[in-house]
Amino acid sequence: MATSLRSAILRHVRVSVQSLDRFRPSSASWGPFHNQSRNLSSHGDEHLKREEVVERVIDVVKSFPKLDPSKVTPTSHFQNDLGLDSLDNVEIVMALEEEFKLEIPDKEADKIDSCDLAIEYISNHSMAV
Amino acid sequence: MSASAAGYLARRSAQKERVRILYRRALKDTLNWAVHRHLFYKDADELRAKFDANKHVEDLDTIDRLINDAEATFHKFQHPDPYIVPWAPGGSKFCRNPAPPQGIEIVYDYGKEDKD
Repeated sequence: MATSLRSAILRHVRVSVQSLDRFRPSSASWGPFHNQSRNLSSHGDEHLKREEVVERVIDVVKSFPKLDPSKVTPTSHFQNDLGLDSLDNVEIVMALEEEFKLEIPDKEADKIDSCDLAIEYISNHSMAV
Repeated sequence: MSASAAGYLARRSAQKERVRILYRRALKDTLNWAVHRHLFYKDADELRAKFDANKHVEDLDTIDRLINDAEATFHKFQHPDPYIVPWAPGGSKFCRNPAPPQGIEIVYDYGKEDKD
């Protein structure tokens, strides 16, 4: 008795499931988020690809006048491998800051002494462009 | 002997760091004063020559005195309105956010609708 009553009530009360197509991300017409690549900050949410960072860091280091461009590799140490001194190191870090429009704090910039450290720092920096 | 050697090395490395950071700040400040590249290169070479002139000084107290003098000179001639990268603290874009996109509105009673 109770079970038949329950099923009879539920048959009337239940709402059939409809697919809500308009909430699927594939439907491009709805809402402000339909374009997934839209930037939600003035800077932009896109990040540099690591290969691009490597290429540009190598370019900057190669264009430094006091070293031999053919020796530059993604892992070379500025002072040990490329024969620069500590002030040249400072100049290279400043050139990298200008290339990627960064502002690196002095203490952190002081620790960047090789290409792979620079690549690591810049590719992990959210503001590098 | 080893204690004094360690003390010497510690003092020496602290001086090297001070010189690197001073050179970095001074080089950036040179770029603030000389906004064009062709002016900046000449000024940067002069700055580098000033640092290189005392490259071979060995006496620790003399080095300290030279660094102190150089830092005093740097602070005296600092640019009053330096260039700051826009997103960095003090930059023109720091804490500035774009207007939210059209179609977004704020629901002020979010979470309380059921109680009405």
